[in-house]
Amino acid sequence: MLQVEHLTKIYEDGTLALDDVSFEVPDGEFLVILGLSGAGKSTLLRCINRLIEPTEGRIVWDGTDITAASGEELRKIRRHIGFIFQEFNLVERSSVLTNVLSGRLGYVNPWQSIIRFPQEEVKRAMRNLERVGITDLAPKRADDLSGGQRQRVGIARALMQEPRLMLADEPVASLDPVLAHSILRYLEQLNREDGITVICSLHFLDLVRRYGSNVVGLKDGRVVFQGRPDEITDQRFKEIYGQEAERITVT
Amino acid sequence: MEGKKSPLLSAFLSLIPGLGQIYAGAPLQGAALLLAIVVTALLIQWQGSTFLYVGIILAWLWGVGDAYSLAQGRQISLVPPFLIIGVIVYIIGWQVTDIKLMRLITDVADIKPLVSNLLQPAVLERDIETQKAEVIFESPCSDSPPEKGTPLEDEPYLIILDKTCGEVGETFTIEGGNFWPSSRGQIWWLNMAGEMKRRIRQEGEYLTFQTDEKGRIPPLTIVAPEAFGEARGKGPQRSRVQALLKREVGTIHPSHTFFLVAEKMMETIFLALMATTVAIVFAIPVSFLAARNLMGGTPITMGFYYLTRTILNILRSIEPLIMAIVFVVWVGLGPFAGVLALAVHSVAALGKLYSEAVESIDPGPIEAITATGANRLQTIVYAVIPQIVPPYVAFTVYRWDINVRMSTIIGFVGGGGIGYLLQQWIRLLMYREAGAAVWAIAIVVWALDYASAIVREKIV
Repeated sequence: MLQVEHLTKIYEDGTLALDDVSFEVPDGEFLVILGLSGAGKSTLLRCINRLIEPTEGRIVWDGTDITAASGEELRKIRRHIGFIFQEFNLVERSSVLTNVLSGRLGYVNPWQSIIRFPQEEVKRAMRNLERVGITDLAPKRADDLSGGQRQRVGIARALMQEPRLMLADEPVASLDPVLAHSILRYLEQLNREDGITVICSLHFLDLVRRYGSNVVGLKDGRVVFQGRPDEITDQRFKEIYGQEAERITVT
Repeated sequence: MEGKKSPLLSAFLSLIPGLGQIYAGAPLQGAALLLAIVVTALLIQWQGSTFLYVGIILAWLWGVGDAYSLAQGRQISLVPPFLIIGVIVYIIGWQVTDIKLMRLITDVADIKPLVSNLLQPAVLERDIETQKAEVIFESPCSDSPPEKGTPLEDEPYLIILDKTCGEVGETFTIEGGNFWPSSRGQIWWLNMAGEMKRRIRQEGEYLTFQTDEKGRIPPLTIVAPEAFGEARGKGPQRSRVQALLKREVGTIHPSHTFFLVAEKMMETIFLALMATTVAIVFAIPVSFLAARNLMGGTPITMGFYYLTRTILNILRSIEPLIMAIVFVVWVGLGPFAGVLALAVHSVAALGKLYSEAVESIDPGPIEAITATGANRLQTIVYAVIPQIVPPYVAFTVYRWDINVRMSTIIGFVGGGGIGYLLQQWIRLLMYREAGAAVWAIAIVVWALDYASAIVREKIV
């Protein structure tokens, strides 16, 4: 159970990104964060693993206050939370294998990891690459890959963490719509088969309906909707996306 | 443009250039015209070509007319006066830099020997064998003049036929034998100790001779030259007259110059290597201090950022040549001064390039690695270093390449390396030797340029 309580984030330039956001995520859920660009989705996800420091509020995960953790404790929490980025955030000049292995940095001996990873971790990396279907790309450099392949590397890297919670920030927004499903299906699989809680921000309502078990709608940093995907009526949709919004269908 | 302004007043104001335009609503153009005319007038005054004031007057008159029509609401048109001013500036520039294009054609003969020497660098040579013989001449005469010399059986000899002493300017005749047949030779004039010598000239030309088929030097008339330096005018002085033949023998082999150039070239390359290495050691920490994205946190770190940047900019603006002069005075002539000069300049140059590489790293991977629970060291090793190593290596190789080129120049002011040899040879008019150095520099610079291009291509 992840509890977000009265979360507020004000950036240094005065921008109010999150305004008193509260919700709960039971274990095993596929929660979708819905909202326009700039609604605070990325800030919210990054506050959960403290890539961004919240200004106010608490985030409690299975009884542990993430917002109060620091140093070693914070790193121990982070290593159980996978994060998938819109722009993949791979180290472009490193190999796919190295990128995937870097997901294990929170577990291995820091000094050893600087020299080389243990053989068992390499095997684990290959298993995770197999899981996303790109074993043969292991020796390639990340910048030789296509967008879809890169996001799979991103997923394999997150899997190295053996996460219990997976955060995904617009994981398919930089990809062709046809690739969106293939990536989201992996997340769905992780959610259903491995029981990993997924919190994923998305743009398209059709994808939300297809994959989400619950939805939090954000607008200007505030929660404007909370419920099941099928409860998003056209009226609700306009509340999240503004009055001029039209629905677009993605196949 | 509003037509409420008075055209006449505008034109009147333009008697001071640009003021009309400022009044009629084009302050920027007006100010620019005023500044341009004043500066150009000062330039003409300084340079002294007063006829150019015609152009200033034309530009000024156009300005008056333009101010009038501008106030009437028409479009501003200051292109012609600025064009005139541009022409004036280039005319002054032509005269100041003393451009004489005809010289390139009329004096082309002067460059020919130089170019032909440079094209025949002294890299290969054969051993030189010499034959020589001497007699003694005295000037002016003492009570016991030297002997005329005797013809020898087997060895080369030189004798004086008529008189072995005389005043400066008097002539005497020599003859010799047993030299190599049918060879050209030279006549030298030495003091008795042999440490001072010069070739004898006759009517401006070096005196030479040709041996006959039996190796005899036919009778040769010589005008007695002045004694050397201090001995001049101090009573009778004896001097040695020497006939000298040279010929090349044996196989062609690399010359002494070749080995000297090779040795100094290695010194140059190492000089650049040491300077670059020292620069790397200092530039890496400096580059982090000079990277805005790393130092942007607090006002204190921003202060360090600006301080570092300022120091780098100042250091970079000092030419390495000037630094070399400073270090030559400080640590003495030689390659160490060159290393220091290039190192200081390279720290500034590399520090800036490195810091720009740091500034351009993608924050995404850092975020991603942090999110895995990695600590700070792991984040740097896995997210920052892979991003900055390739540009660092590329910039460093490029810098080494630049330093090799610069160290040849550094040598001109005594900073060691091949430049030191080159400037000596140029001053001594030894252009064939200088040519060898120039070729060596060209080859090494080309090779390094090529290598660094490949390295940069592979890495970036």
